[in-house]
Amino acid sequence: MSHPEDLLADYVGGTLDERERAAVDAHLPGCARCSAEVRQAEAARAALSELEDVPVPFGVTGPVLAEAGRRFERRRGVAWGRFQWAAGLAAAAAFVLVVALNVGGEDAQNAAAPERTTAVAGGTGAAGAEAATPGVIPFAGLERQTDVNYDEAGIRAVASEAAGAVVAAEDAPGTQAAFASTVQDSKERTSLARECVDQSGVRGPDDVLIRLIEAQFEGTPAFIGVYSEGPGAGQTPDHIVVFVIAKDDCSILSTASQRIPSG
Amino acid sequence: MPDPPARDEDLVRRYLSGDRAAFAALVERHERRVYNLALRMTGREEDARDATQDAFLTVLRKLSSFRGEAAFTTWLHRVTVNACYDLLRKRQRAPLLERGEDDLPALEPPPAPDHADASSLSMDVQRALMQVPEDFRAVMILHDVHDLRQEEVAAIVGVPIGTVKSRLHRGRIALARAMGIEQQGRFSEDPEGPPAPGGSPGGAPGASRSGERADAAGPSEGTVSP
Repeated sequence: MSHPEDLLADYVGGTLDERERAAVDAHLPGCARCSAEVRQAEAARAALSELEDVPVPFGVTGPVLAEAGRRFERRRGVAWGRFQWAAGLAAAAAFVLVVALNVGGEDAQNAAAPERTTAVAGGTGAAGAEAATPGVIPFAGLERQTDVNYDEAGIRAVASEAAGAVVAAEDAPGTQAAFASTVQDSKERTSLARECVDQSGVRGPDDVLIRLIEAQFEGTPAFIGVYSEGPGAGQTPDHIVVFVIAKDDCSILSTASQRIPSG
Repeated sequence: MPDPPARDEDLVRRYLSGDRAAFAALVERHERRVYNLALRMTGREEDARDATQDAFLTVLRKLSSFRGEAAFTTWLHRVTVNACYDLLRKRQRAPLLERGEDDLPALEPPPAPDHADASSLSMDVQRALMQVPEDFRAVMILHDVHDLRQEEVAAIVGVPIGTVKSRLHRGRIALARAMGIEQQGRFSEDPEGPPAPGGSPGGAPGASRSGERADAAGPSEGTVSP
């Protein structure tokens, strides 16, 4: 019989059936190599079984639980942001209005840029129809900003900018938001990114995607999804929510929200 | 009668639907297992702490994409083993940058474990364990120390079950050699006689054999030399 190498682990572990065990037992007395291996493996297994668990030192998992708490608060921050909209915070509204005026001005300048029109056409087929509704920004496609590294403040700025763009779109239905000028990616890649954001489970059923950016978030490759949320069908959206999703596993890295000031 | 403890998968679901305490419950339930696996894999308390934190942070980050296709514990073990691999790689790189070329030894001596409350026997075993290549060490720790079934080990490590058996056997032999256990046969009337030192074909377990599977060749390739 040739050396029964594939049986020796289970022979030592005592999990061979009777027939296999008998075959190894018959082989060993005539084979120095296998009997030496079995003896060594038995000694090693016995030594390993002597190893005992040690208690976890104090403080090992503390930082993990702290991080879990921070993430939890961030997720809750989105819900809190929605509440804030309902309460109506005048200060936030005033701030966003300033941003809105600025972005609105840029919009007017960029409205004539021909490459942007092309980008919209390559993005979603429904763009033209959506553009006619006041306050609705048609989604143009994935924006590639892979060399841009966002942080928390950057994400909040994205939310504010989008809120401003929605206000501008209310004033001038049919115009495209300034940020769409960076759209340059394919439909396939765009749908991959959308799937990733959807898969993360963060998107609400009524959220409408208005912007999708491929960039970095604090050094991690990420998709940034910008959604408008409306009070109901056919009405002007009242809220912007931004989700930052890790590209490698579609998990949530960060969120931001911004109320859209009315009229 | 008290309720049975919640399943891991239920705790994951509860955390994702807003129950903050559910994640803490998962950590509390598994931290001892994760820490001890990391301690056996890395051989150092400091590294085991880091690997444990890295593993749980990865779990936290990826929890939303965990779909329960594998058991949570299988996934957790996999994440932990990978965290250990990453740490060991970092540790191998770091000293090279700090040392001059003159004092680079040909083979790194295994680092001594520094957990104070272990017995001298387990320190010897741990020291020997660090001389066994990582892939073999992982399989041995999961199977022989943590008592996981071979099927589970295969799922954790991501190899076929035949490879698990092979790594288990070769790893045990490498460990015995690192512990200084001689390789004489247990049958005194052995017609082939004791194997020649240095390993003639078919003799020493550490010698490479042409028939051995490529993926099982690790401990034979001079990493654990007599």
